Parts: sequence; C-alpha cells; structure tokens
Amino acid sequence: MSESRLFSKHKAYEIRAELQQTNLKKHRASATKRKDALRKVIANLSMGNFSEMALLFPDILRFWQVEDDIEVKRICHHYLVAMAPTKSGHFATALSMVLEDFNSGTESARILALRTLSSVPLPAYLEEASKCASAVLHQHSESEALKKAALYALLRLSQLDTERSQTLMSIVDKVLHSGKERPSVRAHALFVLYQEEESSSEIRTLGLHRELCLSMLELLPRLNEWDNGRVLDALTANYVPQTHSDAHFMIDKVLPQLQHANTSVVLNALKFIVFLTNYVDRLNESIVKQLSSSVISLLNKPPELQFLVLRNVILLLLGREKPLLKVDVPYFFVEFNDPIYIKDTKLEILYLLAKEDNLAQIFQELKEYATDIDIQMSRKAIRAVGNLAVKLKNSVDECIDLLLDLLDFEVEYIVQEIISVFKNVLRRYPEKSKLCLHKLVRFTDSVQEPESRSSMIWIITQYSSQLPNYFELFEGFSNSFLEESLEVQFTILSSTVKLFTRHLTPATEKLCISILKSSTEKLDNPDLRDRAFMYWRLLSCTQNSGGNILTMDGVREIVDGNLPLITLNSRLDPQVIEELELSIGTIVSIYLKPVNQVFRLNKPKVLPKSPALNPDKDSLEIIADGARSHSSSFTDEGSLTSRRQSSSPVKKMDDYDRPAEVVNQLKLKRKTSSATSLLSRKPSVLGRKLSMKRPFG
Amino acid sequence: MLSALFIFSLRGELLVSKHVRSSVPKSMSEIFRIQVINNLDVRSPVLTLGSTTFHHVKSPGNLWIVAVSRSNADSAAIWEFLYKFSTLLEAFGLHSENELKEDFMICYELLDIVLEDGVPVDTELGSVASKMSVKPSASTERINTFIESGNGGTNRILPVAQFLRARSSSSNLHDSYSKAPSNIPWRMNGIKYKKNEVFLNVNERISILVSKDGSILKSYVDGTVEATTHLSGMPVCRFGLNDSLSVSTPFGDNESPTTNKKAIPKAAAGSVMLEDCKFHQCVQLDKFQSERTINFIPPDGSFELMKYHVRENLNLPFKITPVVTLFKANSIDYRVTIKSLFPSKLTAKDVQLRIPVPPETVDCHISTSNGRCKFVPEESAIIWKFNKYQGLTENSLSATAVPMKESTLNIDQWPKPPMSLKFEIVMFSNSGLVVRFFDVSEGNRNYKMVKWIKYLSKSGAYEVRY
Repeated sequence: MSESRLFSKHKAYEIRAELQQTNLKKHRASATKRKDALRKVIANLSMGNFSEMALLFPDILRFWQVEDDIEVKRICHHYLVAMAPTKSGHFATALSMVLEDFNSGTESARILALRTLSSVPLPAYLEEASKCASAVLHQHSESEALKKAALYALLRLSQLDTERSQTLMSIVDKVLHSGKERPSVRAHALFVLYQEEESSSEIRTLGLHRELCLSMLELLPRLNEWDNGRVLDALTANYVPQTHSDAHFMIDKVLPQLQHANTSVVLNALKFIVFLTNYVDRLNESIVKQLSSSVISLLNKPPELQFLVLRNVILLLLGREKPLLKVDVPYFFVEFNDPIYIKDTKLEILYLLAKEDNLAQIFQELKEYATDIDIQMSRKAIRAVGNLAVKLKNSVDECIDLLLDLLDFEVEYIVQEIISVFKNVLRRYPEKSKLCLHKLVRFTDSVQEPESRSSMIWIITQYSSQLPNYFELFEGFSNSFLEESLEVQFTILSSTVKLFTRHLTPATEKLCISILKSSTEKLDNPDLRDRAFMYWRLLSCTQNSGGNILTMDGVREIVDGNLPLITLNSRLDPQVIEELELSIGTIVSIYLKPVNQVFRLNKPKVLPKSPALNPDKDSLEIIADGARSHSSSFTDEGSLTSRRQSSSPVKKMDDYDRPAEVVNQLKLKRKTSSATSLLSRKPSVLGRKLSMKRPFG
Repeated sequence: MLSALFIFSLRGELLVSKHVRSSVPKSMSEIFRIQVINNLDVRSPVLTLGSTTFHHVKSPGNLWIVAVSRSNADSAAIWEFLYKFSTLLEAFGLHSENELKEDFMICYELLDIVLEDGVPVDTELGSVASKMSVKPSASTERINTFIESGNGGTNRILPVAQFLRARSSSSNLHDSYSKAPSNIPWRMNGIKYKKNEVFLNVNERISILVSKDGSILKSYVDGTVEATTHLSGMPVCRFGLNDSLSVSTPFGDNESPTTNKKAIPKAAAGSVMLEDCKFHQCVQLDKFQSERTINFIPPDGSFELMKYHVRENLNLPFKITPVVTLFKANSIDYRVTIKSLFPSKLTAKDVQLRIPVPPETVDCHISTSNGRCKFVPEESAIIWKFNKYQGLTENSLSATAVPMKESTLNIDQWPKPPMSLKFEIVMFSNSGLVVRFFDVSEGNRNYKMVKWIKYLSKSGAYEVRY
C-alpha cells in the first residue's frame, strides 16, 4: 500500500467499491484490503472530505457488525464521533453496536464504546452513557482505565446537561471519598470534580476539607507524574487552610514535589505553595531558596517550556515587594541561539531584576543586545536602558552615556529608538539635558518614525532656550506638517504654541498662526481641529483689549506648565496578581493578564477567605533558617552561604588556566601578519588588551 | 484540557486530527495552518485567538504537533505532553510524514491510550507499549540514550574500571507469571531477565559565557543521569552521588576514574554541590527531601532518572583566548588560541570552534597549528575542527578576513556574535559529579546484576566574546 493511495481524496463510491469487492472473499488478504479501505475513510476525514464520507455510513455499519478486529472497531468509533454533528438517522442503528461493544468487548473496546456514547450529543446516547458509566464506577473490579473513562464520560455528560450535573457529580464524589479505590482513580475523580467546578457558572470552590486534602497529598508518591500535577492543581484554592500551622504543614508536604522532572508537577507544586504562603505567618528562607533553585533548573527544558517558566518568573517577580524568588542575574543573559521569544522574555526579566548593585553587569549585557542582529531585540534592549534610567535614579548617567555611545553607530532603527527613549529620560531628569542635547539634535534629519519624530519635536521645543538654531530645527518638522501622521501633527501643534509662548518673536507668531490655520482649515481630523481651536481661543484671550482675561504669562502657565514627574510602575494591580498567582503555569501566566480578559468564559479566581488569610501579601515575613525549623532542612545553610560568598566575585577564565603540556606552534607564518599591523590597531582595542588583567566590574 | 490534537506535515498537510470535544469546529486546523505554519515570522510558541489556544512544538522528524485548548489550560502539562508524545511517536516508528501517512491508525491508538478526554494519562513508554496492539519498532533503541550519545561502534558502553558490586550473588529468576498491572503505575509485574543489567549514563552539558576581558559572566552545567534497566521483578534501587548535601554516605573514598584531583585542582573531587535536581516520577521524592537518598522502583527499559544543575567549582575543559583586531582598515585579524584543560590521558572528540566573521567577508587567509580549518561563507564563519583533541594541549590560529574589494568592513556596526565551541569528552565530568553507588534489593532475596556507567561531557552554549 503506497502512501499516495491512503492519503488522497476519494469519492464515496470508490471506497464503497473497494469495500464490497473484497467482501466476497474471506481470506486474510482481503481483510487487510478492507482495512485499507477503512483507513482511507479516516484519512479523508482528516483532509476534510466530510460530505463524501458521510455517504458511507451504512457500509461502515455493516463492517462493524461482522468485524471483530480492534482496529476496525477503532475506525468505526472514530467515524461515528466525527459524524456526530450530522445527527444522521443511522445513529439509532449504530447505538446497538456501540452497546454491544460495551457489553461484550475487550477492555479497549469497552473504553472506546464508553467514550463514543458520551461524545455523541444525542439523548439516547447520553442516556446510555450515564447508565454505563455509573455501572462501571459501582463495580469495584473494573479496570483502572475503564473507570477513568467512566469518570470523564460523566464530566462530559454533566457539561452537556447542567441540570443533571449534581446527581452525576455525586457519583464522582463517592469515588473520590472511597478509601478503597485505587489512588490514580481517586486522583482523576478529584480532577473531574475540579473541572466541573471550573466550567460551572457559579463562583464557589470545591471546599475540600483538611482530611481529604491530607489523604490526597499522602497519595502523591503512588501516583504518576500527570496525576501528581493534576492533584496539586485541583487542591489549589479548593482546600483552604484554617490555621497557620495547617498551611505550614501542607507546604512541607508538597516541597518534595519541586524535585520532579515534569514541569507541570513543579509548577503546580509551586502554585500550591505560593497559594499557601497567603495563609502562613512567616516563611523560611530555605523554602524561598528551594523554590528559586527548582525554578531555575527548569531552564534547561526545551525552549517552549523555558519560555513558560520565564514568564512565570516575571509573574513572581512582579508580584510582591519581597519576591518569592531569589535568582541570579546571569541566568537571564541571552544566549546567541535562544529563540526570539526567549530573548524577549529574558530581557524583561533583566529589566525587572535591575538594582543598583547589579547595574553594571546588566548594562554590559544590554549594550551587547542593543547591537543584536534582530531588530526587535535591539530596540527592546534600548527601550530597557531608557526605562532603567527612569526607574533607578543613580543609573541615569551611565544610561545616557550608553545611549549616546550607541547613537554613534548611526544605524537607522537604533537612532529611532534612542531618540524615542530620550524623551522620557529628559522628562525625568531635565538637568541632564546639557550633556546630550547637542548630540541628539544632530540627528534631526534622520528621525523617521512617528514616535521618534514626536520625541525629537518635544525635545527641541522643551530645550529651545539652549538651542540657538531652534527655529530652523523646528521648521524642519513644521514644514511637512500636512504630510505627518496624526500623532506627529498633534505634537507639532502643541509644540508650536508652546514655542510661541516661550519666544514671542514674529517668526514664531507667523509659524503658530500658519499651523493653527492648517489644522483648522486644511486637515479634517475633528480632534486635531478642536485642539487647534482651543489653542486659538486661548491665545486670542490675551489679545482682547477689553479687560484682559489672560496675560501671556497665564497662557504660558497653561501651555507650558510644570510637567508631573513620571514614574514607571513595574508592579501589577494586587487583584490581578492574586489571580495570576493562582494560575501559575497556565496559559494566562504567559500573557500575564487576568483570566477573564483572555478567556471570557472562565471565572476569575480569588483567594478564599479563612481566619489564617494574610490581609496583605507584602506583610509576609521571610525569616532566616534556624528560627523555626519547619522545613526538613533541605540545605545545610551554613556551608551553602559560605561557599556562595567565596565564589561571589566574578571568576576569570585565567583562574582555570593550567600550563599546557603540548603547545603546537603555528605552522607557517602568513605574509599578512607583520609587525606593522600591530601598530595600526585602534587605540580602543589596545586599551582593551591592556585592561585584560584588570578585574571585571 | 486538550480539545483537539493535530499533527501537520512540515508543509502544513493535516495528517492526524483527533477531536476530543465536538465543540471544536472542523475548520480549526485551517486557522492554525494560516496563522502559524504559513506565517514566516512566528514569535511565540503559543497562539491565542478568541478563547482558543494553540500550543505547538516541532518534532525532530519535522512534524508540527499541535494541541488545541479552549479554556485556561495548564500550559506546562500541555508542552510536556507534546514532547513526550513526540518521543512515543518516534518509538513506534512514526517519526516523519511518510511513516505517519502509512500508519496513522497507530497514532490514533496511541492517542486513545495516552489521553483520556484530552487529559494526559500515562506516557511512560513501557506501560504504554504493553497496552498497544503493536510493539515499539526496532527504532525504539534510538531512544536508548546509550546509543544515541555515542557514535562510535564499539566503545559505546564503557565499563567502569571498578565494578560497583551487587550486594549478593544468589541468582534467581521469578516464577513466570504474565505481565500484569501492579500497584506501581510505571512498572508491570512479572518482568524477567536472564541477566540483570543496569546502564547508567551521566551526560553533562557545560555552558559558559566569557566576556571580552576574560571574566566569566555565567557558567553552569546541566546534567542528566539516564538509566537503562533490565531488571527482573520489582527491584528497589538505591542510588548515590558525591553531592555535598548527601548527609552521610558510607562510601568515603573519592577515587574515581573520572576526576583526578591532581589533574584539576579546582575540581571538587570530594563533593559537588547540586543547585537543584529533578527526578523521574519513579523516585520517592519525600525520601529524598528528608534523607537525601534516591530510592526508586525503575520502569523497565530506558528513562531519564534525574536532571541536575551545578554552578560551583566546575572543571572548564577548554580555554579560548581570542584577539580580534581591525587591520589596515578593511580586514580583520584573528589570533585565537585554544587550550585544553582536562588531563592529558583523556581526549575530546569532535571539537569545533566557530569563529564568526563579518558578512561582507569573501575570503580568509588562515593558518593553524593543527586541525582542519576553513572559511564557510554561507555561515559567515571560520570553522576550525579537530577530530581528536588531546588533554593539556594548546593550539593556535591566525587568520585574516578580507572583504569584497570595493566594500569596507564596518567593524563597529557588526554585532560580533560570540565564538562558540563544541566538543564531547568521554569519561570526564565537568561538574566533578560521580556516581558513588547503585544497589538493588528485590523482596527478601538478594540480587545479582551487572552495572555499567559512562560519563560524557558535551558543550552547551560555550561562548566567548571578543
């Protein structure tokens, strides 16, 4: 059988012919041919050839009756589920066959039958499904896989028919509480209840009590990885610790799971622990260490998972005054082969981690990234430098130096970005303008993008008193007023007025009038027009001879008053954080947005109330170990810190150096490498060579 | 959790489509094809449109494996699952488009076993295989990391000089009873081998980033211990490393074939501080937390027993000293020395230093003391290769990159990608980690088995700026 035959579009009659033709003979060869014909049906379904394949319903049913092979059954069941939306009349006939599979078949046939019954949204099927599923769950001897299939069949049923969900879920609840049931089945029962809870419209939690939560945690070592992750997921926010000591106890119970190889288990354990930290009075430092190191070691996972982990690192760093993570900066240095989405995220983390003490290190990195090949990466790095200047007061000089250095590259997009960024830097630190103004103004002709143009216009206007040629510079922009984008037009408009109030010269007056005219007469954006009229009236107030309402100084006050100080808030709204912390490792943790902004059907999550709940996340005290040896001493703290300190200065490659036993000399001298070449080196390179022996930083 | 799972060929042909919930419209696969496969500038491995989210990975055989979910699902579980599923597909011989077009029913059968209502149930090869109607193809062995990691024919598996002895010698085999489900989710009852064997593979990847002035900006080792067990019955294994946190291990000697204290003074031959470790699901994590011992009942066959991360006291295997200068304003002069720092008894293989040159370069004059070296214009790099590299040996290279006649090199605008080194050293451990003991007990009886261990150090991102 060649691939082209299986995976190509067929007409229904072609397949039917194949099915019938081989039906006559009864030996093995024809059986495989028949199966091939059936496989073609599945392949055609994948290719979207539904209407043709729907015609084959009677033929499929006929085969179902005679064949006992599990693969044929699988094909039939797949076909049935795929055809479910058609609600064809053949489903009534098919029902008896599905039931026969359930009653007499092997285990895998029974599982298939149960899944099919609950996936075909016809009343007759659903009725049978609920009967079969509850029968399976009441029978203790049924196999584990079948019981799981039955649990999820009930979940599907109750989501299709919300009125019956309570009765259906009570069956599941019984399974969860039955101590005799196998651990894995109980874990699934818990998860099914949790899923049902999530999909229902009411805002409530499962409200699991302490004993059940404990018994589920006891089961953890006997469950496989997937069950582990799901149990921890389901317990979060569904069990509410009533006292501090309960919460401490649970944290200790879950800590070992951080060592699991499966990212899902680790992140769910992390989620559960972070949830519990809202209910403890204090937290040991060793726990913070263990959380951090377990998160860090997830960074050697495949890129997609790394990305997820990095996003969650951002979440945890943003969350609290004293973050639950203590991580070293170099982990987030970008590697050359990182996919772009990881580079971006690492850059964000570097920005968040930046503090006075590690600034030098981070700047060095950002400088590397600013010249990265990827344009977006380079822009983001520059943006980060600018934001750092605004965020950390002491860093401003370094930031400005770095940005001005980069400006020398004269690469087009770098210039755009730097000019854009400078607006905020100068707004925050007007006193620094002397340092950089003249250099910036040199690039007046190279700013292209709306943002950088606006930024340049703002800078020229704001510092016009320091620029003798401000008017020529400004005219460069205002002459093309009509062609500019709206954003730039707005900036030109308000800047002209500002310029006029500052320098009352005939030239500025003329310019001001022409811009006001253009905005009101030649352009048809209503907002722009309105704003122009507003300025116009404001200015004409000063001209009215009768009892001057406003003086020119008054207008200046209005147009060019003191700007409010800008600050960058790198923390999210506490409510959003609370919700995100309950969603660690899920899709919204990637987007860092509240659940119902991304998925409108999902319920928002809130921390359940309890006497032990801390009023404020930031009040949680993180204490050094020894004060209270709650966690079972994961690390030998003393040795750990001392070793850390000893290794804290940046190591040099030379520290590792050892004399070579064999030194291979270059075989031939190249003509090109002569002594003169050494002399012609650029001084900066020489300087770098000389400084090689100096310690870093 | 998953509402549907699709597998696409590289070009975007839908090969497998498994709908778990009928709520997913059939056209969903089209949307993915348009938004991701046909989109050249994909900047995220996850895409959310409306309330539908696509998580996707690309398998080694160039298949797109895509999970569709319709609410706020556990992304970590989805990606872990997609990776495990991709390994399972490989194991059943479905690694590329052609195989999948033939035997897609195996894929559906696999999906029926590993997923229950879109929720991953079990992905352990051993137990999945026992439920499948077809057995894993011969290529399963490719998953066996022993074979994957070595490329020589004979010296794939190296015995340790001193065998770690099993505790007793009474040979026994179980009474034969058929493989039956057991209390341990990842292991069947009634597994039987004539000869009990354990293979341990300690693989390490070292990553460093060295700045222009020679200071090490970051350095770490990511290691994995991969095990292949051919053990009868329900063995309980105990496994110990020389990590500094193990409370007290009875095996005090530090003599191991891999770390030679004298050879590498910085190496913590005595003990290694593991930043963190992650274990396979079979390891009893609570025991590890309280007693720092690694106890487990292994699944049958190969699996990744643990992963670890080390940052302190690494043995750096190579030192690279680059001097890059602009020469006569339009060509760049490179002088690079590379020195191996591991003991001279050992040899690294497939050592390859990649030296980037500006993209305008058309020719390079190269002279080296050893190894093969050539300029590869399509990668804009000079590649310097050694098949074998002896320990404690220094080699140097001198090269000049020449640009096209009329253009000039603009070294300031060139982003200077770091030089990167690739290598592989057998029986060397970058972190100094050594397996101290591995013993097995099964029921009351003692157990005879043979243990093999192999250490392999590879390069991760071994990068030097200049």
